[in-house]
Amino acid sequence: MKEIELDFFELVKRVDTDKMGDFISYDREKCNGCGLCALVCSFNIWAVKAGKAKLAVRYQELCVECGACWEVCEPEAIDFSYPAGGTGVVIEYG
Amino acid sequence: MEKWDVVVVGGGPGGSYAAKTAAEAGLKTVFFERGRKPGEKNSSGCGLGQRWWRDFPKLMEQLQELPSVRKIEMVVINLIDEHDRLRYRSGTTGSDLCANRWPHGMDGISIYRRDLDPFLADLAIAAGAELRNSTLISDVVMDDGRVTGVKTEKGEPIQAEVVIAADGAMSTMARKAGMRNRWGGGCTLVPQLDFGCNEEKMDDVIGNAEWVWFGPLYGTYQVNFRDGFHIGAGQWLRDDWDEKPLDMMKKVVGIPAFRAMCRAIEAKPREYQAHMLPWMKKPPKTYTGGMMLVGDAAGFPCPLEAEGIWHAVISGREAAQTAAWAISKGDTSERSLAEYERRWKASDLGKEHEFGEEFVNLWNSSIFDPKLMERQIQLLLEFSMLHPFSIVFDWGDAHMDCFNQHLGHLIELAPEFGDFGKTYIAPMARGIWPSNVKKMLLAVKPKIPALRRLSDDNYFKVIARLSRKLAPYLDPAAKQNGPLPRQSYGAGGR
Repeated sequence: MKEIELDFFELVKRVDTDKMGDFISYDREKCNGCGLCALVCSFNIWAVKAGKAKLAVRYQELCVECGACWEVCEPEAIDFSYPAGGTGVVIEYG
Repeated sequence: MEKWDVVVVGGGPGGSYAAKTAAEAGLKTVFFERGRKPGEKNSSGCGLGQRWWRDFPKLMEQLQELPSVRKIEMVVINLIDEHDRLRYRSGTTGSDLCANRWPHGMDGISIYRRDLDPFLADLAIAAGAELRNSTLISDVVMDDGRVTGVKTEKGEPIQAEVVIAADGAMSTMARKAGMRNRWGGGCTLVPQLDFGCNEEKMDDVIGNAEWVWFGPLYGTYQVNFRDGFHIGAGQWLRDDWDEKPLDMMKKVVGIPAFRAMCRAIEAKPREYQAHMLPWMKKPPKTYTGGMMLVGDAAGFPCPLEAEGIWHAVISGREAAQTAAWAISKGDTSERSLAEYERRWKASDLGKEHEFGEEFVNLWNSSIFDPKLMERQIQLLLEFSMLHPFSIVFDWGDAHMDCFNQHLGHLIELAPEFGDFGKTYIAPMARGIWPSNVKKMLLAVKPKIPALRRLSDDNYFKVIARLSRKLAPYLDPAAKQNGPLPRQSYGAGGR
Protein backbone atom coordinates (compact mmCIF):
# COMPACT_ATOMS: atom_id res chain seq x y z
CA MET A 1 0.00 0.00 0.00
CA LYS A 2 1.18 3.53 -0.80
CA GLU A 3 2.94 5.47 1.92
CA ILE A 4 1.33 8.72 3.05
CA GLU A 5 3.79 11.50 2.34
CA LEU A 6 3.93 14.44 4.68
CA ASP A 7 5.45 17.74 3.65
CA PHE A 8 4.99 19.54 6.95
CA PHE A 9 6.17 22.89 5.63
CA GLU A 10 3.43 22.85 3.00
CA LEU A 11 0.90 21.80 5.65
CA VAL A 12 1.17 25.00 7.70
CA LYS A 13 -0.29 28.29 6.45
CA ARG A 14 1.24 31.53 7.69
CA VAL A 15 0.67 35.22 7.07
CA ASP A 16 2.98 38.22 7.45
CA THR A 17 5.88 36.24 8.89
CA ASP A 18 8.05 39.35 8.47
CA LYS A 19 5.86 41.25 10.95
CA MET A 20 5.70 38.62 13.70
CA GLY A 21 8.44 40.15 15.82
CA ASP A 22 10.69 38.27 18.22
CA PHE A 23 8.29 36.15 20.22
CA ILE A 24 10.75 33.55 21.47
CA SER A 25 13.62 34.76 23.59
CA TYR A 26 16.42 32.55 24.75
CA ASP A 27 19.01 33.07 27.47
CA ARG A 28 22.09 31.03 26.58
CA GLU A 29 23.56 31.54 30.05
CA LYS A 30 20.62 29.83 31.74
CA CYS A 31 20.47 26.90 29.30
CA ASN A 32 21.64 23.60 30.80
CA GLY A 33 21.74 21.82 27.45
CA CYS A 34 19.16 19.19 28.44
CA GLY A 35 17.70 19.16 24.92
CA LEU A 36 14.06 18.80 25.98
CA CYS A 37 13.11 21.83 23.84
CA ALA A 38 14.48 20.06 20.76
CA LEU A 39 12.71 16.82 21.66
CA VAL A 40 9.24 18.31 22.17
CA CYS A 41 9.40 20.99 19.46
CA SER A 42 6.45 20.55 17.10
CA PHE A 43 8.48 21.78 14.13
CA ASN A 44 12.11 20.93 14.95
CA ILE A 45 13.21 24.54 15.29
CA TRP A 46 15.45 23.79 18.28
CA ALA A 47 18.70 21.82 18.22
CA VAL A 48 21.43 21.24 20.77
CA LYS A 49 24.94 22.19 19.70
CA ALA A 50 28.01 22.08 21.95
CA GLY A 51 25.89 21.56 25.03
CA LYS A 52 23.59 24.51 24.40
CA ALA A 53 20.20 24.86 22.77
CA LYS A 54 20.14 26.68 19.46
CA LEU A 55 17.08 28.28 17.90
CA ALA A 56 16.66 28.31 14.11
CA VAL A 57 17.57 31.77 12.83
CA ARG A 58 14.38 32.20 10.83
CA TYR A 59 12.17 30.46 13.38
CA GLN A 60 9.22 32.75 12.58
CA GLU A 61 8.82 30.93 9.26
CA LEU A 62 8.72 27.53 10.96
CA CYS A 63 7.30 27.78 14.49
CA VAL A 64 3.71 26.53 14.91
CA GLU A 65 3.26 28.61 18.10
CA CYS A 66 2.59 25.71 20.48
CA GLY A 67 4.86 26.98 23.27
CA ALA A 68 6.06 23.53 24.32
CA CYS A 69 9.71 24.68 24.43
CA TRP A 70 8.80 27.23 27.09
CA GLU A 71 6.76 24.71 29.06
CA VAL A 72 9.55 22.12 29.33
CA CYS A 73 12.48 24.46 29.96
CA GLU A 74 13.42 23.65 33.55
CA PRO A 75 16.03 26.44 33.96
CA GLU A 76 13.58 28.87 32.31
CA ALA A 77 16.06 29.88 29.64
CA ILE A 78 13.26 30.08 27.07
CA ASP A 79 10.53 32.67 27.12
CA PHE A 80 7.64 32.46 24.74
CA SER A 81 5.13 35.18 24.03
CA TYR A 82 2.83 35.23 21.04
CA PRO A 83 3.68 36.79 17.67
CA ALA A 84 2.16 40.18 16.87
CA GLY A 85 -1.62 40.22 16.48
CA GLY A 86 -2.86 39.11 13.06
CA THR A 87 0.44 37.52 12.01
CA GLY A 88 1.88 34.02 11.94
CA VAL A 89 0.13 30.67 11.78
CA VAL A 90 -3.39 30.57 10.35
CA ILE A 91 -5.37 27.47 11.19
CA GLU A 92 -8.19 26.61 8.82
CA TYR A 93 -9.00 23.11 9.98
CA GLY A 94 -8.39 23.27 13.71
CA MET B 1 -7.23 56.00 29.11
CA GLU B 2 -9.79 53.58 27.73
CA LYS B 3 -12.06 52.24 30.43
CA TRP B 4 -14.31 49.18 30.45
CA ASP B 5 -16.28 47.24 33.02
CA VAL B 6 -14.97 43.94 31.69
CA VAL B 7 -11.96 43.24 29.47
CA VAL B 8 -11.86 39.69 28.14
CA VAL B 9 -8.53 38.48 26.80
CA GLY B 10 -9.09 35.84 24.13
CA GLY B 11 -11.76 35.25 21.50
CA GLY B 12 -12.05 31.48 21.85
CA PRO B 13 -15.15 29.77 23.25
CA GLY B 14 -14.42 30.74 26.87
CA GLY B 15 -13.68 34.37 26.02
CA SER B 16 -16.65 34.79 23.72
CA TYR B 17 -19.08 33.22 26.15
CA ALA B 18 -17.72 35.34 28.99
CA ALA B 19 -18.07 38.47 26.81
CA LYS B 20 -21.61 37.48 25.84
CA THR B 21 -22.64 36.86 29.44
CA ALA B 22 -21.03 40.09 30.68
CA ALA B 23 -22.66 42.16 27.93
CA GLU B 24 -26.04 40.58 28.64
CA ALA B 25 -25.63 41.58 32.28
CA GLY B 26 -25.35 45.17 31.10
CA LEU B 27 -21.60 45.50 31.54
CA LYS B 28 -19.51 47.52 29.12
CA THR B 29 -17.44 44.72 27.63
CA VAL B 30 -14.60 44.37 25.13
CA PHE B 31 -12.88 41.16 24.04
CA PHE B 32 -9.58 40.76 22.25
CA GLU B 33 -8.45 38.16 19.73
CA ARG B 34 -4.86 37.86 18.53
CA GLY B 35 -5.85 36.18 15.26
CA ARG B 36 -7.36 38.09 12.37
CA LYS B 37 -10.66 36.56 13.44
CA PRO B 38 -11.76 34.17 16.20
CA GLY B 39 -10.82 30.53 15.60
CA GLU B 40 -7.87 31.31 13.36
CA LYS B 41 -5.30 30.44 16.02
CA ASN B 42 -7.12 27.48 17.54
CA SER B 43 -6.91 23.78 17.05
CA SER B 44 -8.53 21.11 19.14
CA GLY B 45 -10.45 17.84 18.97
CA CYS B 46 -13.61 19.90 19.04
CA GLY B 47 -16.28 17.36 19.67
CA LEU B 48 -19.33 18.92 21.29
CA GLY B 49 -20.86 16.14 23.32
CA GLN B 50 -24.20 15.31 24.80
CA ARG B 51 -23.89 17.82 27.65
CA TRP B 52 -24.09 20.55 25.03
CA TRP B 53 -27.61 19.35 24.30
CA ARG B 54 -28.36 19.42 28.00
CA ASP B 55 -26.93 22.90 28.65
CA PHE B 56 -27.17 24.74 25.31
CA PRO B 57 -29.94 23.09 23.25
CA LYS B 58 -30.73 26.22 21.22
CA LEU B 59 -27.08 26.78 20.29
CA MET B 60 -26.74 23.15 19.27
CA GLU B 61 -29.71 23.45 16.92
CA GLN B 62 -27.94 26.36 15.21
CA LEU B 63 -24.49 24.79 15.25
CA GLN B 64 -25.79 21.73 13.39
CA GLU B 65 -26.22 23.94 10.34
CA LEU B 66 -22.58 25.03 10.08
CA PRO B 67 -20.61 23.65 7.12
CA SER B 68 -17.96 21.50 8.82
CA VAL B 69 -20.31 19.58 11.11
CA ARG B 70 -20.46 15.81 11.28
CA LYS B 71 -22.97 14.28 13.62
CA ILE B 72 -21.40 11.85 16.09
CA GLU B 73 -23.33 8.98 17.60
CA MET B 74 -20.71 6.29 17.92
CA VAL B 75 -17.12 5.74 18.99
CA VAL B 76 -14.91 3.20 17.21
CA ILE B 77 -11.85 1.87 18.99
CA ASN B 78 -8.90 0.45 17.08
CA LEU B 79 -6.22 -1.31 19.09
CA ILE B 80 -2.84 -1.51 17.40
CA ASP B 81 -0.18 -3.78 18.88
CA GLU B 82 3.55 -3.13 19.14
CA HIS B 83 4.04 -4.62 15.64
CA ASP B 84 1.56 -2.13 14.12
CA ARG B 85 -1.05 -4.80 13.57
CA LEU B 86 -4.73 -4.02 14.07
CA ARG B 87 -5.75 -6.47 16.79
CA TYR B 88 -9.13 -5.24 17.91
CA ARG B 89 -11.81 -2.98 16.53
CA SER B 90 -15.08 -2.31 18.22
CA GLY B 91 -17.64 0.44 18.23
CA THR B 92 -20.48 1.49 20.41
CA THR B 93 -23.39 3.86 20.26
CA GLY B 94 -23.98 3.41 23.98
CA SER B 95 -26.98 1.63 25.44
CA ASP B 96 -30.60 2.79 25.35
CA LEU B 97 -29.95 4.46 28.69
CA CYS B 98 -27.59 6.92 26.98
CA ALA B 99 -30.08 7.44 24.19
CA ASN B 100 -32.88 8.20 26.63
CA ARG B 101 -30.99 10.51 28.98
CA TRP B 102 -31.43 13.65 26.90
CA PRO B 103 -33.69 14.32 23.95
CA HIS B 104 -30.73 13.87 21.62
CA GLY B 105 -29.27 10.86 23.37
CA MET B 106 -25.70 10.03 22.49
CA ASP B 107 -25.54 12.52 19.65
CA GLY B 108 -22.80 15.07 19.60
CA ILE B 109 -21.14 16.95 16.77
CA SER B 110 -17.63 17.51 15.49
CA ILE B 111 -17.05 20.99 14.17
CA TYR B 112 -13.98 22.91 13.05
CA ARG B 113 -12.97 25.87 15.16
CA ARG B 114 -13.22 28.18 12.14
CA ASP B 115 -16.98 27.55 12.35
CA LEU B 116 -17.49 27.33 16.10
CA ASP B 117 -15.38 30.22 17.35
CA PRO B 118 -16.77 32.98 15.08
CA PHE B 119 -20.29 31.71 15.80
CA LEU B 120 -19.77 32.13 19.55
CA ALA B 121 -18.01 35.48 19.07
CA ASP B 122 -21.01 36.72 17.05
CA LEU B 123 -23.28 35.89 20.00
CA ALA B 124 -21.13 38.15 22.18
CA ILE B 125 -21.18 40.93 19.59
CA ALA B 126 -24.97 40.62 19.26
CA ALA B 127 -25.22 40.96 23.04
CA GLY B 128 -23.34 44.26 22.81
CA ALA B 129 -19.70 43.32 23.45
CA GLU B 130 -17.01 44.84 21.26
CA LEU B 131 -14.56 42.49 19.51
CA ARG B 132 -11.07 43.64 18.55
CA ASN B 133 -9.27 41.27 16.23
CA SER B 134 -5.56 41.13 15.37
CA THR B 135 -4.74 42.51 18.79
CA LEU B 136 -2.33 40.83 21.13
CA ILE B 137 -2.70 41.63 24.80
CA SER B 138 0.80 41.30 26.14
CA ASP B 139 0.67 42.46 29.74
CA VAL B 140 -1.52 43.24 32.72
CA VAL B 141 -1.69 46.57 34.49
CA MET B 142 -1.28 46.08 38.23
CA ASP B 143 -1.97 48.47 41.05
CA ASP B 144 -1.17 47.58 44.63
CA GLY B 145 -0.96 43.87 43.87
CA ARG B 146 -4.20 43.63 41.93
CA VAL B 147 -5.04 43.64 38.24
CA THR B 148 -6.63 46.89 37.10
CA GLY B 149 -6.33 46.49 33.34
CA VAL B 150 -4.31 45.15 30.44
CA LYS B 151 -1.78 46.42 27.94
CA THR B 152 -1.83 45.83 24.20
CA GLU B 153 1.33 44.80 22.37
CA LYS B 154 1.80 48.46 21.44
CA GLY B 155 1.89 49.36 25.11
CA GLU B 156 -1.55 51.02 25.26
CA PRO B 157 -3.09 50.55 28.69
CA ILE B 158 -6.77 49.65 28.95
CA GLN B 159 -8.50 49.94 32.28
CA ALA B 160 -11.02 47.40 33.54
CA GLU B 161 -13.05 46.76 36.65
CA VAL B 162 -12.51 43.07 35.98
CA VAL B 163 -10.24 41.22 33.55
CA ILE B 164 -11.29 37.77 32.37
CA ALA B 165 -8.29 35.87 31.05
CA ALA B 166 -9.35 33.38 28.41
CA ASP B 167 -5.96 33.35 26.74
CA GLY B 168 -5.29 29.64 26.55
CA ALA B 169 -2.80 27.16 27.95
CA MET B 170 0.10 29.60 28.03
CA SER B 171 -2.01 32.38 29.59
CA THR B 172 0.14 35.50 29.37
CA MET B 173 -2.28 37.16 31.79
CA ALA B 174 -1.82 34.54 34.51
CA ARG B 175 1.96 34.72 34.09
CA LYS B 176 2.18 38.49 34.09
CA ALA B 177 -0.09 38.75 37.13
CA GLY B 178 2.28 36.39 38.95
CA MET B 179 -0.34 33.66 39.39
CA ARG B 180 1.85 30.96 37.93
CA ASN B 181 4.59 30.27 35.48
CA ARG B 182 4.96 26.98 33.61
CA TRP B 183 2.47 24.18 34.31
CA GLY B 184 5.31 21.92 35.37
CA GLY B 185 4.13 18.48 34.34
CA GLY B 186 0.37 18.99 34.22
CA CYS B 187 0.23 20.02 30.58
CA THR B 188 0.10 17.92 27.42
CA LEU B 189 1.28 18.75 23.93
CA VAL B 190 -0.99 17.72 21.09
CA PRO B 191 0.28 17.70 17.51
CA GLN B 192 -2.59 17.29 15.05
CA LEU B 193 -2.70 16.35 11.40
CA ASP B 194 -5.77 17.19 9.36
CA PHE B 195 -6.85 15.31 6.22
CA GLY B 196 -9.31 16.35 3.54
CA CYS B 197 -11.52 13.46 2.38
CA ASN B 198 -14.26 12.41 0.01
CA GLU B 199 -17.40 13.22 1.98
CA GLU B 200 -19.59 10.43 0.58
CA LYS B 201 -16.93 7.84 1.16
CA MET B 202 -16.49 9.11 4.69
CA ASP B 203 -20.21 8.64 5.24
CA ASP B 204 -19.93 5.05 4.02
CA VAL B 205 -16.72 3.99 5.73
CA ILE B 206 -16.49 6.16 8.85
CA GLY B 207 -20.13 7.00 9.44
CA ASN B 208 -21.20 9.27 12.27
CA ALA B 209 -18.41 8.23 14.56
CA GLU B 210 -15.23 9.33 16.27
CA TRP B 211 -12.38 6.88 16.02
CA VAL B 212 -9.41 6.23 18.27
CA TRP B 213 -6.17 4.39 17.60
CA PHE B 214 -4.71 3.07 20.82
CA GLY B 215 -1.84 0.75 21.62
CA PRO B 216 1.57 0.60 23.25
CA LEU B 217 2.92 3.02 20.63
CA TYR B 218 -0.17 5.15 20.11
CA GLY B 219 -2.69 7.21 22.00
CA THR B 220 -4.29 8.86 19.01
CA TYR B 221 -7.80 10.22 18.53
CA GLN B 222 -9.44 10.72 15.18
CA VAL B 223 -12.10 13.39 15.05
CA ASN B 224 -14.28 13.18 11.95
CA PHE B 225 -15.76 16.27 10.31
CA ARG B 226 -18.05 16.62 7.31
CA ASP B 227 -15.37 16.23 4.64
CA GLY B 228 -12.22 15.60 6.60
CA PHE B 229 -10.77 14.41 9.86
CA HIS B 230 -7.86 15.07 12.08
CA ILE B 231 -5.74 12.87 14.23
CA GLY B 232 -4.17 14.11 17.41
CA ALA B 233 -1.44 12.41 19.35
CA GLY B 234 0.68 13.56 22.22
CA GLN B 235 1.44 13.12 25.85
CA TRP B 236 2.09 14.92 29.08
CA LEU B 237 5.16 17.14 28.79
CA ARG B 238 7.21 15.23 31.32
CA ASP B 239 10.53 13.46 31.63
CA ASP B 240 9.29 10.36 29.79
CA TRP B 241 8.46 12.25 26.57
CA ASP B 242 10.51 10.29 24.05
CA GLU B 243 9.62 11.31 20.54
CA LYS B 244 9.60 14.37 18.32
CA PRO B 245 6.05 15.39 17.38
CA LEU B 246 6.74 15.25 13.64
CA ASP B 247 8.07 11.70 14.00
CA MET B 248 4.99 10.83 16.04
CA MET B 249 2.76 11.93 13.18
CA LYS B 250 4.83 10.03 10.61
CA LYS B 251 4.50 6.89 12.70
CA VAL B 252 0.73 7.09 13.03
CA VAL B 253 0.23 7.54 9.30
CA GLY B 254 2.37 4.44 8.78
CA ILE B 255 -0.09 2.09 10.54
CA PRO B 256 -1.32 -0.21 7.76
CA ALA B 257 -4.94 -0.18 8.96
CA PHE B 258 -4.83 3.61 9.10
CA ARG B 259 -3.47 3.83 5.56
CA ALA B 260 -6.18 1.45 4.38
CA MET B 261 -8.81 3.72 5.89
CA CYS B 262 -7.20 6.77 4.23
CA ARG B 263 -7.27 5.03 0.88
CA ALA B 264 -10.91 4.07 1.28
CA ILE B 265 -12.02 7.64 1.98
CA GLU B 266 -9.47 9.32 -0.33
CA ALA B 267 -7.83 11.14 2.57
CA LYS B 268 -5.09 13.65 1.73
CA PRO B 269 -3.02 15.49 4.36
CA ARG B 270 -4.31 19.05 4.52
CA GLU B 271 -2.94 20.86 7.58
CA TYR B 272 -0.59 20.39 10.48
CA GLN B 273 -1.14 22.07 13.86
CA ALA B 274 0.05 21.75 17.44
CA HIS B 275 -1.29 23.04 20.72
CA MET B 276 -0.73 22.60 24.41
CA LEU B 277 -3.55 21.29 26.53
CA PRO B 278 -3.50 21.39 30.32
CA TRP B 279 -4.74 18.04 31.60
CA MET B 280 -4.72 18.54 35.32
CA LYS B 281 -5.51 16.54 38.42
CA LYS B 282 -6.70 19.77 39.91
CA PRO B 283 -7.04 23.26 38.43
CA PRO B 284 -4.64 25.76 40.05
CA LYS B 285 -5.90 28.98 41.61
CA THR B 286 -8.33 30.56 39.17
CA TYR B 287 -8.67 34.13 40.47
CA THR B 288 -6.69 37.02 41.84
CA GLY B 289 -7.58 40.61 42.64
CA GLY B 290 -9.38 42.05 39.61
CA MET B 291 -8.93 38.98 37.40
CA MET B 292 -10.36 35.50 36.80
CA LEU B 293 -9.03 32.73 34.55
CA VAL B 294 -11.34 30.65 32.37
CA GLY B 295 -11.00 27.64 30.05
CA ASP B 296 -7.52 26.30 29.28
CA ALA B 297 -5.92 29.29 31.00
CA ALA B 298 -7.41 27.95 34.23
CA GLY B 299 -6.50 24.32 33.56
CA PHE B 300 -10.16 23.31 33.25
CA PRO B 301 -10.18 20.65 30.50
CA CYS B 302 -11.91 17.48 31.60
CA PRO B 303 -9.61 15.26 33.68
CA LEU B 304 -11.07 12.16 32.01
CA GLU B 305 -11.26 12.93 28.28
CA ALA B 306 -9.45 16.29 28.13
CA GLU B 307 -12.24 17.96 26.16
CA GLY B 308 -12.11 21.62 27.12
CA ILE B 309 -14.59 23.64 25.10
CA TRP B 310 -17.65 22.98 27.21
CA HIS B 311 -15.50 23.68 30.29
CA ALA B 312 -14.31 26.96 28.75
CA VAL B 313 -17.87 28.07 28.01
CA ILE B 314 -19.21 27.11 31.44
CA SER B 315 -16.31 28.77 33.25
CA GLY B 316 -16.62 31.84 31.00
CA ARG B 317 -20.25 32.12 32.00
CA GLU B 318 -19.51 31.69 35.72
CA ALA B 319 -16.66 34.23 35.59
CA ALA B 320 -18.79 36.85 33.83
CA GLN B 321 -21.66 36.35 36.26
CA THR B 322 -19.23 36.68 39.15
CA ALA B 323 -17.86 39.86 37.56
CA ALA B 324 -21.37 41.33 37.34
CA TRP B 325 -22.03 40.44 40.95
CA ALA B 326 -18.69 41.83 42.17
CA ILE B 327 -18.97 45.06 40.17
CA SER B 328 -22.52 45.66 41.40
CA LYS B 329 -21.38 45.48 45.01
CA GLY B 330 -18.32 47.58 44.23
CA ASP B 331 -15.74 45.04 45.33
CA THR B 332 -13.57 43.25 42.80
CA SER B 333 -10.79 42.40 45.24
CA GLU B 334 -9.27 38.95 45.43
CA ARG B 335 -11.40 38.14 48.43
CA SER B 336 -14.54 39.08 46.59
CA LEU B 337 -13.62 37.17 43.42
CA ALA B 338 -13.08 34.01 45.49
CA GLU B 339 -16.80 33.73 44.80
CA TYR B 340 -15.84 32.58 41.28
CA GLU B 341 -14.13 29.46 42.62
CA ARG B 342 -17.09 28.69 44.85
CA ARG B 343 -19.38 29.01 41.83
CA TRP B 344 -17.43 26.85 39.38
CA LYS B 345 -16.85 24.22 42.06
CA ALA B 346 -20.60 24.03 42.64
CA SER B 347 -21.30 23.79 38.88
CA ASP B 348 -21.21 20.66 36.70
CA LEU B 349 -17.67 21.67 35.81
CA GLY B 350 -16.62 21.33 39.44
CA LYS B 351 -18.38 17.99 39.72
CA GLU B 352 -16.20 16.64 36.91
CA HIS B 353 -13.06 17.77 38.71
CA GLU B 354 -13.99 15.98 41.94
CA PHE B 355 -12.36 12.90 40.41
CA GLY B 356 -9.53 14.75 38.71
CA GLU B 357 -6.77 12.98 40.55
CA GLU B 358 -8.22 9.50 40.00
CA PHE B 359 -8.94 10.09 36.29
CA VAL B 360 -5.53 11.54 35.47
CA ASN B 361 -3.74 8.81 37.40
CA LEU B 362 -5.65 6.21 35.44
CA TRP B 363 -4.65 7.66 32.07
CA ASN B 364 -1.09 8.28 33.12
CA SER B 365 -0.67 4.68 34.03
CA SER B 366 -2.68 2.92 31.30
CA ILE B 367 -2.87 4.26 27.74
CA PHE B 368 0.30 6.27 28.29
CA ASP B 369 2.25 3.35 29.72
CA PRO B 370 3.52 1.34 26.72
CA LYS B 371 4.49 -1.78 28.72
CA LEU B 372 1.14 -2.00 30.40
CA MET B 373 -0.67 -1.41 27.10
CA GLU B 374 1.15 -4.36 25.52
CA ARG B 375 -0.18 -6.63 28.25
CA GLN B 376 -3.54 -4.89 28.37
CA ILE B 377 -4.14 -5.68 24.72
CA GLN B 378 -3.60 -9.38 25.47
CA LEU B 379 -5.97 -9.19 28.40
CA LEU B 380 -8.62 -7.41 26.37
CA LEU B 381 -8.28 -9.91 23.53
CA GLU B 382 -8.79 -12.76 25.98
CA PHE B 383 -11.84 -11.05 27.40
CA SER B 384 -13.20 -10.58 23.93
CA MET B 385 -12.58 -14.27 23.13
CA LEU B 386 -15.10 -15.25 25.79
CA HIS B 387 -17.75 -13.25 24.02
CA PRO B 388 -20.10 -15.58 22.10
CA PHE B 389 -19.52 -13.64 18.87
CA SER B 390 -15.76 -14.16 19.15
CA ILE B 391 -15.57 -17.73 20.37
CA VAL B 392 -17.49 -19.02 17.35
CA PHE B 393 -14.56 -17.85 15.20
CA ASP B 394 -11.96 -19.81 17.12
CA TRP B 395 -12.34 -23.26 15.65
CA GLY B 396 -8.77 -24.40 16.31
CA ASP B 397 -10.17 -27.08 18.62
CA ALA B 398 -13.61 -28.18 19.68
CA HIS B 399 -15.42 -24.99 20.76
CA MET B 400 -15.73 -25.94 24.44
CA ASP B 401 -11.99 -26.75 24.49
CA CYS B 402 -11.18 -23.39 22.91
CA PHE B 403 -13.39 -21.66 25.44
CA ASN B 404 -11.58 -23.35 28.33
CA GLN B 405 -8.14 -22.57 26.94
CA HIS B 406 -9.07 -18.88 26.68
CA LEU B 407 -10.65 -18.87 30.12
CA GLY B 408 -7.53 -20.49 31.62
CA HIS B 409 -5.28 -17.95 29.89
CA LEU B 410 -7.41 -15.07 31.11
CA ILE B 411 -7.19 -16.35 34.68
CA GLU B 412 -3.39 -16.58 34.32
CA LEU B 413 -3.14 -13.04 32.95
CA ALA B 414 -5.41 -11.37 35.48
CA PRO B 415 -3.01 -11.28 38.49
CA GLU B 416 -0.52 -9.22 36.45
CA PHE B 417 -3.07 -6.43 36.63
CA GLY B 418 -3.62 -6.74 40.37
CA ASP B 419 -1.36 -3.84 41.31
CA PHE B 420 -2.79 -1.72 38.54
CA GLY B 421 -6.31 -2.37 39.74
CA LYS B 422 -5.41 -1.75 43.34
CA THR B 423 -3.56 1.48 42.66
CA TYR B 424 -5.60 3.07 39.90
CA ILE B 425 -9.02 1.46 39.69
CA ALA B 426 -9.81 0.88 43.36
CA PRO B 427 -9.58 4.58 44.37
CA MET B 428 -12.44 5.29 41.97
CA ALA B 429 -14.68 2.97 43.96
CA ARG B 430 -15.64 5.92 46.14
CA GLY B 431 -17.46 7.19 43.06
CA ILE B 432 -19.90 4.27 43.10
CA TRP B 433 -23.20 5.57 44.38
CA PRO B 434 -24.39 4.12 47.71
CA SER B 435 -27.72 3.38 45.99
CA ASN B 436 -25.88 1.06 43.56
CA VAL B 437 -23.92 -0.65 46.34
CA LYS B 438 -27.22 -1.32 48.07
CA LYS B 439 -28.72 -2.70 44.84
CA MET B 440 -25.78 -5.15 44.58
CA LEU B 441 -26.08 -6.17 48.22
CA LEU B 442 -29.82 -6.73 47.89
CA ALA B 443 -29.23 -8.86 44.81
CA VAL B 444 -27.08 -11.32 46.81
CA LYS B 445 -29.16 -11.16 50.00
CA PRO B 446 -31.49 -14.10 49.09
CA LYS B 447 -28.38 -16.28 48.57
CA ILE B 448 -27.09 -15.76 52.14
CA PRO B 449 -29.06 -18.10 54.41
CA ALA B 450 -27.90 -16.46 57.64
CA LEU B 451 -29.01 -12.98 56.57
CA ARG B 452 -31.83 -13.39 54.10
CA ARG B 453 -34.56 -13.14 56.73
CA LEU B 454 -33.37 -9.79 58.07
CA SER B 455 -35.11 -6.57 57.11
CA ASP B 456 -33.15 -4.61 54.51
CA ASP B 457 -32.15 -2.00 57.09
CA ASN B 458 -30.88 -4.57 59.56
CA TYR B 459 -29.13 -6.46 56.77
CA PHE B 460 -27.24 -3.27 55.82
CA LYS B 461 -26.37 -2.67 59.49
CA VAL B 462 -24.86 -6.16 59.79
CA ILE B 463 -22.87 -5.75 56.55
CA ALA B 464 -21.61 -2.36 57.71
CA ARG B 465 -20.34 -3.96 60.91
CA LEU B 466 -18.70 -6.82 58.99
CA SER B 467 -16.97 -4.70 56.32
CA ARG B 468 -15.02 -1.53 56.90
CA LYS B 469 -14.92 -0.92 53.13
CA LEU B 470 -18.68 -1.12 52.69
CA ALA B 471 -19.64 0.74 55.86
CA PRO B 472 -19.34 4.29 54.38
CA TYR B 473 -21.78 3.39 51.58
CA LEU B 474 -24.30 2.07 54.12
CA ASP B 475 -24.12 5.06 56.43
CA PRO B 476 -27.70 6.38 56.48
CA ALA B 477 -26.30 9.91 56.19
CA ALA B 478 -24.46 9.15 52.90
CA LYS B 479 -25.77 10.89 49.77
CA GLN B 480 -27.49 8.08 47.85
CA ASN B 481 -26.81 9.21 44.26
CA GLY B 482 -23.38 10.76 44.59
CA PRO B 483 -19.77 9.88 45.37
CA LEU B 484 -18.43 9.34 48.86
CA PRO B 485 -16.28 12.24 50.00
CA ARG B 486 -12.58 11.65 49.43
CA GLN B 487 -11.71 11.33 53.12
CA SER B 488 -14.18 8.54 53.84
CA TYR B 489 -12.43 6.31 51.33
CA GLY B 490 -8.65 5.90 51.03
CA ALA B 491 -7.48 7.78 47.93
CA GLY B 492 -4.58 6.19 46.05
CA GLY B 493 -2.56 7.02 42.97
CA ARG B 494 0.79 8.59 42.44
